[in-house]
Amino acid sequence: MVTFIIRRLLLVPVLLFGVTVLIFAMLQLLSPIERSALYVKDFPKNEKAVDGIIKLYGLDQPLYVQYWRWLVGTVDTVGVRHGGILYGDLGYSRTSSIPVAELIANRFPNTLDLTLWAVGPVILVGIWLGVQAAVHQNGFIDQAARVFSIVGTSFPTFVFGLLFILIFYATLHWLPPGRLADEYMQVVNSDAFRHYTTLITIDALLNGRFDVFWDALKHMLLPILTLSYISWATFLRVTRSSMLETLRMEYVTTARAKGLSEHDVIYKHAQPNAMIPVVTLAGFSVVSLLGGVVITETVFNFPGIGSAAARAATQLDVVTMLGFALFNGLILIVSNLAVDILYAVVDPRVRLS
Amino acid sequence: MPDYLLDIKGLETQFKTPDGIVHAVNGVSFGLKEGETLGVVGESGCGKSVTMLSVLGLIPSPPGKVVAGEAFFFGQDLLKMSNEEIRHVRGAQISMVFQDPMTSLNPVLTIGRQLEEPLMLHIGMTKNQARERAAELLAMVGIPNPKDRLNDYPHQYSGGMRQRVMIAMALSCSPQVLIADEPTTALDVTIQAQIMDLVKRLRDELGMAIVWITHDLGVVAGIAQRVLVMYGGFIVEEATVKDLFANPSHPYTIGLLGSLPRIDGKQDGRLYSIDGHPPVLYQTPHSCPFAPRCKWAMERCWKENPLLTPVSNEHRVACWVDTKTGRAR
Repeated sequence: MVTFIIRRLLLVPVLLFGVTVLIFAMLQLLSPIERSALYVKDFPKNEKAVDGIIKLYGLDQPLYVQYWRWLVGTVDTVGVRHGGILYGDLGYSRTSSIPVAELIANRFPNTLDLTLWAVGPVILVGIWLGVQAAVHQNGFIDQAARVFSIVGTSFPTFVFGLLFILIFYATLHWLPPGRLADEYMQVVNSDAFRHYTTLITIDALLNGRFDVFWDALKHMLLPILTLSYISWATFLRVTRSSMLETLRMEYVTTARAKGLSEHDVIYKHAQPNAMIPVVTLAGFSVVSLLGGVVITETVFNFPGIGSAAARAATQLDVVTMLGFALFNGLILIVSNLAVDILYAVVDPRVRLS
Repeated sequence: MPDYLLDIKGLETQFKTPDGIVHAVNGVSFGLKEGETLGVVGESGCGKSVTMLSVLGLIPSPPGKVVAGEAFFFGQDLLKMSNEEIRHVRGAQISMVFQDPMTSLNPVLTIGRQLEEPLMLHIGMTKNQARERAAELLAMVGIPNPKDRLNDYPHQYSGGMRQRVMIAMALSCSPQVLIADEPTTALDVTIQAQIMDLVKRLRDELGMAIVWITHDLGVVAGIAQRVLVMYGGFIVEEATVKDLFANPSHPYTIGLLGSLPRIDGKQDGRLYSIDGHPPVLYQTPHSCPFAPRCKWAMERCWKENPLLTPVSNEHRVACWVDTKTGRAR
């Protein structure tokens, strides 16, 4: 197990290198003039400024020089380093008027908060429903679950989002959009509120401020429901089909022939085997949620990574987009690592081979 | 009438399929004596496995269903037992070994865990007692370093070793009956011989009765005292092994014996085979199910399904034709 994890960890730098090369290559789709012109007012008239930028940032240098400079930046005569993604400088975001790294640091905790609350219940309930549907195949739970999941997978996210806003916000006035009510925002920003994890819900609990926790949860409930419904449906379907397949395996008959109770046959012998594809799915879900759920965050005006990325993309903020792409690549690599380790935990054939 | 340990009468099992109801087992009756080994032979799809799975209530339902019959075991009808009652027979008094050792052990549980389960469940051992007993069982079936190997997973065992584990698991609670469903079919010939030797040794030591399901008459000759030949969900011939090989009376049995390769036989030409395939019965047949493939078939065979009738002591046949003379019985 330890050697497995070490071998897997050794792959991480290679993957990171691949991600940077890929993103750098995509950047080259824009010519040096196009890249500099984004920072020049009245571009066609002001060609000198463009030339100046190209010279200043070395955009006319060979690609490998540019790539290296992008990675480590440059050190000026006084010894101050400028740029360099390896040193955490992802550039300056035009659309948000702060450095990209800071933008990510501000937004990511919100997305992480939302993901945690959306994924946890989804995985547990989705798997439970899937197992029940498979065990009682064609029974009431199965039929209901299938209708539920077909509706969930065939509706677009924004339809649910808008429906929920219409019902719970506009009509019933139960749940607000955004992140926090103003009064609680002041509490969170005050000195008395300690930021342990930067996740508002968890920090609120750690500070003993249940009112803040409840308000944050109320603000997240609609996006959580929207995200959950769609993921639930997928988890349910994958778990159901995997469980149905497992229940037909011969070792399940062996377990019954040993005299085990149906409960033990299902939960101790069949389910651990049926969970193997579900682990993959869980990994994918977490990755896609952490990378920012663009539509859901935009619909609910939720200040996460997804809504910031959407704004950067619609305003041609190339630097911010690159920063997000790099960050997403990092999340993908880390999550895949986690999924691989989880695989090894659930499947001894992976762990011991 | 002899005293049977397991007495099966008129067993009928059917499967619902999109094409109709398949009659897999059609009124099968036989008995198993204490300590004897009974071979059950027939091609794939003749109802051998389904018969034995029905007895233990292991037919997947739906689509399968035992529609009629009785299976007496120590005076109790297994087919009328509730799920909870039959659970305490399975693995404790009647246990099973399956065909493919590659798929019949759970890949995510250790061998030790799988061996301990029936011991804790049926004998009420503690975890530690079960662990010790599991190691003894592994040693009994000839697995070296049993204590260490308890922590291994099935994929770390070879096919033959897995089948040994299955046998150890089946015998862990000292059952009166072991049902072996083609336990050597998926194994190499040399491993087959080892597994058969192992089962014979354990039978002599432990004295359980065995139902050995196979499509290999050679295997039957090596291990069984009595044989049932099944075709289309019917028993078509029942005899002692010696009698069956000396005086095969049903055309199907004759065909099966004829298709065995013989080391002293002629080396030229192709091996004999019975033309056609076993039938899939969508209704109770009103003719002999073997008639379409039978070279002795007469007019009566197409009109009436023959019943199993005695031809001599302990030898019963379901056929209208006396295959020795080629005339009606």
